[in-house]
Amino acid sequence: MNNKKNYWLFWTGLIIGLIVYPKVVGIYYTNFFVTFAIFSVFSVSYNFLLGFTGLFSFGHAMFFGTGGYGVALALTHLKGISVITALGIGLLAAAVLALVLCPIVVRVTGTAFAMLHLAFGQLMYVLALKLRTITGGEDGVGGFPLPPINLGWLAINLKDSANFYYFALVVLGLSLWVMWFFTKTPFGQIQRGVRDNAKRIDYLGFKVPQTKAVIYVISGAFAGVAGAVYALFQNLISADGGYSVIVSFTPIINVMVGGLASFFGPIWGTAILQIITEITTRYTDRVELVSGLILISIIMFAPLGFMGFFHSLKRRWTYPHPFKAKTEEAS
Amino acid sequence: MDPKTAMYVAQGIHGLAYGMILFLIASGLNIIFGMMGILNLAHTAFFMLSAYFCYQFITWTGSYWMALLLAPIATAFFGILLEKFVLRKMHAIGHLSELIVTVGVGMVVLAAVKIFWGTESLPVKIPEALTGLVYIAGLEYPIYRLFIIALALLVLMFMSLLLYKTRLGKIVQAAVSDADMVNALGINIPLVFMTVFGVGTWLAGVAGVAIAPILTVFPGLDGQVGMDAFMVVVTGGFGSLMGAFIVSIIFGLLNSYGVQFFSSLAPVLMFAFMALVLIIRPLGLFGVRE
Repeated sequence: MNNKKNYWLFWTGLIIGLIVYPKVVGIYYTNFFVTFAIFSVFSVSYNFLLGFTGLFSFGHAMFFGTGGYGVALALTHLKGISVITALGIGLLAAAVLALVLCPIVVRVTGTAFAMLHLAFGQLMYVLALKLRTITGGEDGVGGFPLPPINLGWLAINLKDSANFYYFALVVLGLSLWVMWFFTKTPFGQIQRGVRDNAKRIDYLGFKVPQTKAVIYVISGAFAGVAGAVYALFQNLISADGGYSVIVSFTPIINVMVGGLASFFGPIWGTAILQIITEITTRYTDRVELVSGLILISIIMFAPLGFMGFFHSLKRRWTYPHPFKAKTEEAS
Repeated sequence: MDPKTAMYVAQGIHGLAYGMILFLIASGLNIIFGMMGILNLAHTAFFMLSAYFCYQFITWTGSYWMALLLAPIATAFFGILLEKFVLRKMHAIGHLSELIVTVGVGMVVLAAVKIFWGTESLPVKIPEALTGLVYIAGLEYPIYRLFIIALALLVLMFMSLLLYKTRLGKIVQAAVSDADMVNALGINIPLVFMTVFGVGTWLAGVAGVAIAPILTVFPGLDGQVGMDAFMVVVTGGFGSLMGAFIVSIIFGLLNSYGVQFFSSLAPVLMFAFMALVLIIRPLGLFGVRE
């Protein structure tokens, strides 16, 4: 009972905290949080593949970028389109890309899966650079209109950073919730079964490639949502910001630092890395050196990531925590 | 011979030279992966580091040949340090963690290079003996490109001799198929791993010295050439020296002829080729190891 009370208390506190956050901290940290939320969703969508299904990809950026380009091109070319519809187009674009690729990629596993993604990711990157007439080449697509969201009784102007914060919070929070919900369904159980022993799942009568395909499309679609919000947030999407290898590596590193066995691990990883970058930028311009060294030491000394480290501490001191049941279920 | 053919031949030589440099980097990556199962993403950072060492040794000694001798050895030394103090401890944790650690190492090397040498591109002169052109059958060839091709072939020969004709090569081949068993037979596998890692980074080092006079030395060098080399390994198949060799040549030629015929879409060609190969053969052209 006590656990349940704590649980509600935690969520109420979290939601109130998130609502008053932009009023308290000002515009800089509001934008800081939006970036964090975007990359959290991106990393969680990646962990959907890596942590929950055991598929290691080098090219998740292609969905992120496609979502971004989808929303940017929709807002540029379609007159009078609302932001929500454009967001839907971004999601659809990423999902369609995933659908097109899944007949090829679900047949392979391990290194081959990773390499195939590297190839497609790079292909998308180069195409985004070279198809100048559509994507604007190196400059990307930027400066597109950002119409206010009309809810009937009020219009939300997204150019205001606090308003954008709420918008991003709702969209990304919803995405996170859907993915979390998904891992709790029977299908989510099959998903973990595929990771642990694909052959046994096959014998049990579940279709492994089809399962992988569904997961792949969902993961791609939510990476697309993250990319779309990112494009709206920056009011710009470019090949380097959307498709480059570095964008593909961001979620991998976040997941590894946060811990790939749990749903909330990647969110912690994103937070840790972003705060580290923020602090190092303030004191030194050698950000790469510091974050590289920190990355090496985290992986060397806490190989299961933050969540693994946290659990080992908890086991040692049996530290009571409102999330106890939740996180253990997720891992 | 008419000028058109001459141009094609010249482009071919350029492509071959570039392909050979790709091969030098790729073979190092390949040997390390085939042996230890580590996808060393810091490999291209070592390649860049070696180009910087080359610049530094030339500034100190004034001789390109000294740099060619010493820079790869210095690079290999750092590679061995990485293997001994970082990767060896990671082996039990798993390949994914090793991969992320090498990403971190790449970041550190890039930052270190910027601290020591700044961000400008540093020129490296082609040595006296290798400047100019040579005339064969009425066509002129830039000597330095021919030198790169010869150097790569020499290294390939040396590598094949090492792998297929020496005791160390036999041990390496045995260790690829079952490292634990070889270790149990009384062979010091950690030492062999260290040697292999050293040789792998040495190869990247040779490539770094070879490319320094062509592209100059700058902090983005690893990204520009490294990605291509990485694709060579992937397309050729992990752990296959032959695959790396063939695909390097194909990529080099695709690169130079691609620029000539459809200039803007040249990079697309390589990626499309790679995607096509991987769709048909997911492990690469000559890949055997999962």
